[in-house]
Formats: sequence, C-alpha cells, structure tokens
Amino acid sequence: MTNYLSKSIKELHELLKSKSIKPIDLVEEAFAKIEEHDYHAFITLNKEEALKEAKELENLEVDNLLFGIPIAIKDNIVTKNLRTTCASHMLDDFDPIYDATVIKKIKERHMIIIGKTNMDEFAMGSTGETSYFPYAVNPWNETKVPGGSSSGSAAAVSGRLVSLALGSDTGGSIRQPSSFCGLVGLKPTYGRVSRYGLIAFASSLDQIGPMTQNVEDNAILLEAISGSDENDLTSSDTPVGHYIDALGKDVCGLKIAVPNYYMSDTVDREVKHKVEEVIALLEKAGCVIDYIDIPYLEYAIPLYQIIALGEASSNLARFDGIKFGHVTDEFSDLEELYKKSRAEGFGREVKRRIMIGSYVLSGENANIYYHKALVLRNEMTKAFREVFTKYDLIIGPTNTNVAYDFGVKSDDALKSFYDDLLTIPVNMAGLPGMSLPIGFNHEHLPIGMHIISSYFMEEKIYTLASYIEKELKLDLDPKGGRTC
Amino acid sequence: MLVPTIGVEVHVELKSKAKVYSHAKNAFSNEPNTNVEVIDLGYPGTLPKLNKEVINMALKAALACHCKINQVMHFDRKNYFYPDLPKGYQITQQETPIGYDGYLEIEVDGYTKKIGIERIHIEEDTCKSIHSLNGTLLNFNRAGVPLIEIVSKPEIANDKEAVAYLETLREIMLYLGISDVKIEEGSMRCDANVSLKEEESNQFGTKVEIKNIGSISYVGTSIRYEINRQAEMLKRGEKVHEETRRFDDKTNTTILMRMKETGNDYRYFPEPDLPYVTISDEWIQETLDSLPVLPAALRKSYREAGINENNIKTLIANIDLSMFLERIKERCNPVVAANILTGDLLSYLNKNSMTLDDLNLNPDYFTSFIDLLASGELSSKQGKELLPVFLEKKESPKKLAKLLGMEQIQDTDALLLMVKKVIEANPSSIEDYKKGLDRATKYLMGQIMKESRGQANPQIVSKLLVEELEKY
Repeated sequence: MTNYLSKSIKELHELLKSKSIKPIDLVEEAFAKIEEHDYHAFITLNKEEALKEAKELENLEVDNLLFGIPIAIKDNIVTKNLRTTCASHMLDDFDPIYDATVIKKIKERHMIIIGKTNMDEFAMGSTGETSYFPYAVNPWNETKVPGGSSSGSAAAVSGRLVSLALGSDTGGSIRQPSSFCGLVGLKPTYGRVSRYGLIAFASSLDQIGPMTQNVEDNAILLEAISGSDENDLTSSDTPVGHYIDALGKDVCGLKIAVPNYYMSDTVDREVKHKVEEVIALLEKAGCVIDYIDIPYLEYAIPLYQIIALGEASSNLARFDGIKFGHVTDEFSDLEELYKKSRAEGFGREVKRRIMIGSYVLSGENANIYYHKALVLRNEMTKAFREVFTKYDLIIGPTNTNVAYDFGVKSDDALKSFYDDLLTIPVNMAGLPGMSLPIGFNHEHLPIGMHIISSYFMEEKIYTLASYIEKELKLDLDPKGGRTC
Repeated sequence: MLVPTIGVEVHVELKSKAKVYSHAKNAFSNEPNTNVEVIDLGYPGTLPKLNKEVINMALKAALACHCKINQVMHFDRKNYFYPDLPKGYQITQQETPIGYDGYLEIEVDGYTKKIGIERIHIEEDTCKSIHSLNGTLLNFNRAGVPLIEIVSKPEIANDKEAVAYLETLREIMLYLGISDVKIEEGSMRCDANVSLKEEESNQFGTKVEIKNIGSISYVGTSIRYEINRQAEMLKRGEKVHEETRRFDDKTNTTILMRMKETGNDYRYFPEPDLPYVTISDEWIQETLDSLPVLPAALRKSYREAGINENNIKTLIANIDLSMFLERIKERCNPVVAANILTGDLLSYLNKNSMTLDDLNLNPDYFTSFIDLLASGELSSKQGKELLPVFLEKKESPKKLAKLLGMEQIQDTDALLLMVKKVIEANPSSIEDYKKGLDRATKYLMGQIMKESRGQANPQIVSKLLVEELEKY
C-alpha cells in the first residue's frame, strides 16, 4: 500500500502538479487504509462522492496548494447531503441541506472530503468516549484515548488516513486531542473562522480549526478556511494573514511568557520536563522567557461549567423531536414527545451538561452564577490583554498529562473537565492557541506544547512553532507497521 | 375606595422588507412556508443575522414615544419549549431594550394625560400554529417576523384611558409608517394587566392579565368587566388570583385561561451569536430629523386652522387624507379643503373602493376646486356635482365648470330682475320679512337659486334681496 498521506501538503502538491500522482491515488489510499484499519476515526465515509470528485479533478488544473488533498471533517460541521450526526443518536440520520462556510471554502479549493469524523457527542467530552458510535482510539497506542472532543479527526490525521482534518475547539477540543496524538492543532482567534454550519455547543467559545501533521500544513489550511462571513456576525473582518510567510522567521528577541500556573505540580513531571527543554532551546535561540502570574486562570473550570454549559442548554433546545433529529415512536401529548425524544436521543454526558446549564441560568441562579461568570470572564480577558502588552507569546504545556487509558475519567464527571484546565482560558479570552508536538514520554506517547498569541496574531504562533519543529525533528508518524 | 391600576403591553409587527434575523421576505400572507430560510427553521449550525431596517424602525418608534435610547444594546435569548418556536428560544431584548422610560400624551374627555412607557424592545415572532383535527400545522412565514413590544407603566386609570392610549399608540405607529397596526390581522396585539388597590395604599393589588384582545374597543370592554369582577370579589372578601384571562366578545366577559405559575423561568442570557449594537448620537439625530409629522402635532395645527373636531378625527384616522392636506393646506382654504376631503371625497373613495393613491389626485386641480368653493364661485351643490366629474376627467375644475354651464351669473341687472320677479310672486314672504322672520330671506333665496338653476352668485343675490325687501 502507498503512504503518500504521510507527506506534507507541499510535497503532495508537487507530485500532483507534476502529474506523478493523481487525486484518485490519494483518495484510494485513504479508503484502502480505512478499510484496513480505521481506528474508529470515522462515523460516515464519503467514498462514492470522493472517488467521483477525484476523477473529475483530473480534468482541472492544479491551481492551489490544497487541490486534490484528502481531508476529514469533524461530524459537527454540516455538509450538504452528507450525514452529520454530532456523534449523537439524536442526529444519526440527519442529512443537512446546506454546507457550512468552511466546507464551501475547502470545496472551492477542490479538497476532497473523505468522511465525517468521530467525536464526543455534541463535542461534549475530552476522550471521544461519549460518542454514540464505537469510540475512536489513539493510533500511538490503541489502549489510550485519542483525546476529545475532536477524537476522530485526531485519530484520522495521526493514523495518516488523511492529510489533514478540521476540528472544533470549545474548551480544548482541537488542542488536547492534537497533543495526545502528536499533531499540530490550532484553535484560531474567536471570529477568525466562520462558525456558520458548526452545530453549536457553546457559541461564544466555539471555533473551527486545522489539525495537521506539521506546522506548514496547518498554516496553509488556516489561511484557506479563514475570513469574515456575512452569515456569522461574530466573524471578524481583520484581514487574513498569509500564514505560510510566517514560517521560518527569526525567533531571536521574541518575548515569551510562561504562566506559573501552567507549570504547577498538577502537570505531569515528564510533560513539564519536555516543556522546560524547549524553553532552554528557545532561550538559546535568543528568546526572552519570563515566568509570570496571570490572575483568574484558576477559575477556568467553573467558568466553563457555567458559560459553556449554560449556552449549550439553550443551543441544544432545538432538538425537540419536532423538526429534525430523533423522534420517539410513541407519545400521547406534546410534553411526552419532548421528554421521550430528548431522553432517547441524547446520551448521558449531554443530558448532564444540559441539566447543569439549565440550572445555572434558572431564576436567581442566573445572577449567582451566570452573570458573575461573565464578569470574571471579562477580568480574565483583561488579564491576558495585559500580558500581551509586554509579551509576544505565552507558552506552556497543552495538557497536564499525556493520553491515558479508556475508562479512567468516565467514573468522575468533573475529572474530565480537568483535562481542559490549561486550554479553557484561551477560549474564554477568545485568543488563538496551538498545540505543537515536542516529544514523547517513556511510553512513547506524544507530548504537546501550548503556544498562545494575542488576537489575530496567529503568525507569531506559526513562527515559533516552525522554529521548534525544525529544531526537534520529531518523527510523528505512529506508522502502524506501514512504510512508503 | 378601590382604584384600578392598569398597564398595557402591545406587540407591533414591523413591516420591514426582510425578517429580523434572516434575509427571508417578511410577508406572512404569502403561500404558507414559502418565505423561509434555514435560519428561520432554527436549522442546526445556522446563526442569526441582524436587519438594520428593523433597528431603524424600532428606533423611530422609541423616539416618537419620547423614550431614552440604550445606545449600546444587545439581544438576549428567552428559552422555552413550544412547537411554534423552532430554536427553543426567542431572540429578544431583555436587559437592554432599545427604548425605555418614555411616554405618550393622551386626550380623554377633554383632559390630557401623560402615560409612561416602561420599555420598547425588538424581538422575533414565532411560527403561526394552525390546530386542526389531524394535528397542528406550522407556518414558518411568520417565524422571525420583527416585532416591537411596547410596555406601558401601570399608570392607566380606567378603560377610557386605556382605549385612548392604544388609539394614540396605533396612530403613531401608522404615521411612522413602520406597521399596518391591524389588530384583526395580528399586526397589533394587545394585552392588559388589571389590578385593584385601596386608593390610599401604595401596595398594588394582585394583577390579572387579559391576553390577546381582538380590538381596541374590546380592550375597554374587557377592562371595565375585569374591574367590576375584581371589585365584586374583593367586596365579597374573596382573594383575586394571579391569572391569565381572555376576552370573550360574545358575552363581553373575561374567561380564565390559566393560573399563573410561580415565575416563568425563561433562563434569559445574552445572545452570543449577535454582536452588541451601538446607536450613535448621529444615528439618533438623523432618525429624529427624519420623523414624519405625528398625529399630536397635526391635531394642534388643524385646530389652529379652525378645522372642526369631527373632521380632525376623520383626517387623523385617514393618514393618506391628512398627508394630502399637509401638502396643500398652505395653498388653499384649509377648512374648506378639510370639509371636502373628509366629506365628498372620502365618500367618493369609499363608494368606488379606492384609495387616494388609486385616484392619483392632482393637487393643483384640487386646490383650484377648493378656491372655487371658498370664493363662492361654485355653490356647494355645484361642488358636489363637479367633484366626481373632475376626479374622473382629470381636467381643470375651472374649465369643467364652464363646460358644464356652472358659471355663476354675476350680472347685477340680470340678477335684480330675477329677485324682483320672485318677490312679487311671494307676497306673504314680504310680510314675514317685516315681522323679522329669518325664513323669509331663506325661502326667497332658495326660489332664486331654483330660478337660476343654481347659477346665481349667492353673495350678490343676498345683497340685492335685502335691498329690495327694505323697499316695502
């Protein structure tokens, strides 16, 4: 079997341009790999359509870097006539009638959608285990979680089933699985990428972003999906950068902050050690590194519980058994139709979160919890803005740990939120953040580093990430026994 | 003594071109479920847009009602489950209504009073549910149609004030051109809150809400009924319950719909999908400058011009007539113009089921018609005859009057002959005149007009008649 899909986008582009390979070769490789071993990365495959498109592309000029490149799409991004389930029984036969803005953009670039990837149900979870479908596994070690909620996107790219994927990140759902699976995953600035067509979890936090095998691919895909959108009034008209130009720029003189909170004892020793090694590397390269305190970071989880779950309880109200999604078979009145359809359609974690979210918005609780959380969120944002008046970037570990065994978090609802301890503050403030692979632990499980910049300063993230990537020269292909 | 406390909530449907949160056409009356976008369906993944025309219209309403403006405003979600609410929440304005703390001035029984306005906010309408034997049908044409809700302060003292408040409010919305405000079609919906308290107490009584009342006069009837019902209950020592009632127009009573549950929990929170809207000072000023003449100002200017109250009422109620009068009133006698507009012209329109627009009335012809009447060149009887002719022929009324032989006889000698002839033929009238009876001149005048087939100039005839009678 071929293994083109472990090559970079630029390499594939050269091969396609010189007609050494055709798009169909990449598509056939993807489906051959998936048939052989799919890590449960996909919920729905787009095989027939993908093969047809690949054939059609043969008559077209290879006009951009992403032309003919196979991509996987998280299953909470709507795709016209391609089932979109949110990994939920509620939507397991939902065929959308329109394309999300990001889907339109990747189609314009003639990328080929291989399929819709597995995830935690409605993006609620950080292991992939809350999926209604058999959950995805980590290609580095299949007894370990791939992370979540973008579990299938991470498994698909890490397993080289596709070149790259789109994920979504509400509290760490791109960065944490990227870190667990040895990928480069970016949550863009809030408003950088249109949310139109992303089935909302928490509207003020959600953002779609690229999950890729390397930094360069990430920059290319981000540029392709970014931009203001009249269908999303929260999208920004800040001009889209030519991110690829930021790669390889000098890092000397960059001012970088390391929050003490990110290097506390809750962080695994090996993870911390790897981050410190990179810090030493950066200091050698002439970066100025300071350890600083950022106030309010410790409130990230309660803030998330209140704001994200409050919004979710409202966003998921439309799944009521009347217009789309699961409808219960038997009911005698309206209330029973609602109750049974929702009870049957949603899984445990989703129900738990809807209940918590409804509770924090109820009556007087809105003041006790929700409005207070908004005030605190505002303070946290101000604290970050303050840091970025003095520093170019913030770095630290993406997560407190590496990929862990299945089942360990499912007995404790709170524990799973702690995976997002270091990623949530970035969503709260609306900042861009990347997880970059920086090495492995003693079990050869990937370790991710978090790189955060100020608003719409994704270029700076790419500059630093490309430098670290070049210096570390990690082999990030879990291989699974394959060679080219 | 028990006194009522009344507050009124009004929903007004705005006639913007598009819906408030999508680009779908705002035309409920079209074929059901044709003006629908994915946004209106609450389709997964969709996000609301924001129609600036709606904000402009709401801003006009708020300013016309003397409201303060929330210059940084946002939208909120009101969460509840109902089949006519596709998203499971309504996008409304809870925390920052576009307008607050305004008032309307009403006239009742010769006194004027300011009724405070608590708030005016923007929100979306729901689907229209049609309940049938086979189940409930939903028409999404209405989902997302823009509404403004106007909430009065509880400062209305009785049914008459409530009716006056609603009529005033309705007129303003009509003159702003932002709504059809037709209660029977649902583009204006009224709820009233009624409670009774002891006059000297500063504690409000238990409030009863009367929902969706079918006409403004029914609002008056239902409030009157509700005041009596509650007073009777209190007299009997019973407690008034917090409840929602509806008005039944067959029995002229209110009927219990449901008891109020303790505090509906709508779990309001700021709508994260829409950005904050800033209404600048310039925006407000521009809107103020663009406001049309409103009924209160019109009424004042009509009174100053000497137009009678009945005609004023008819003019205000017929916006196209009052706007037409505004265009021409400087160029002709406004009292005569008002008489014609509210009288012969309006009945002509009604008879032919036309609007003033359909008529395409030439203002120059109309003013010259009014001049003919005001100067006495045409008698009112001739005016009645000429009006439909010049409206249909669309030609100069002067020319037409001539063609129709309606020119007046102004020749004094010719008229004197006629006067003498009539007096001689009616000797008893001379006696009456000597006794000082009015009817004598009136009768003779009528005879002369008959003789001249209405063409005698009445001013000249009147003068000649008196001169001749004095000779006896």
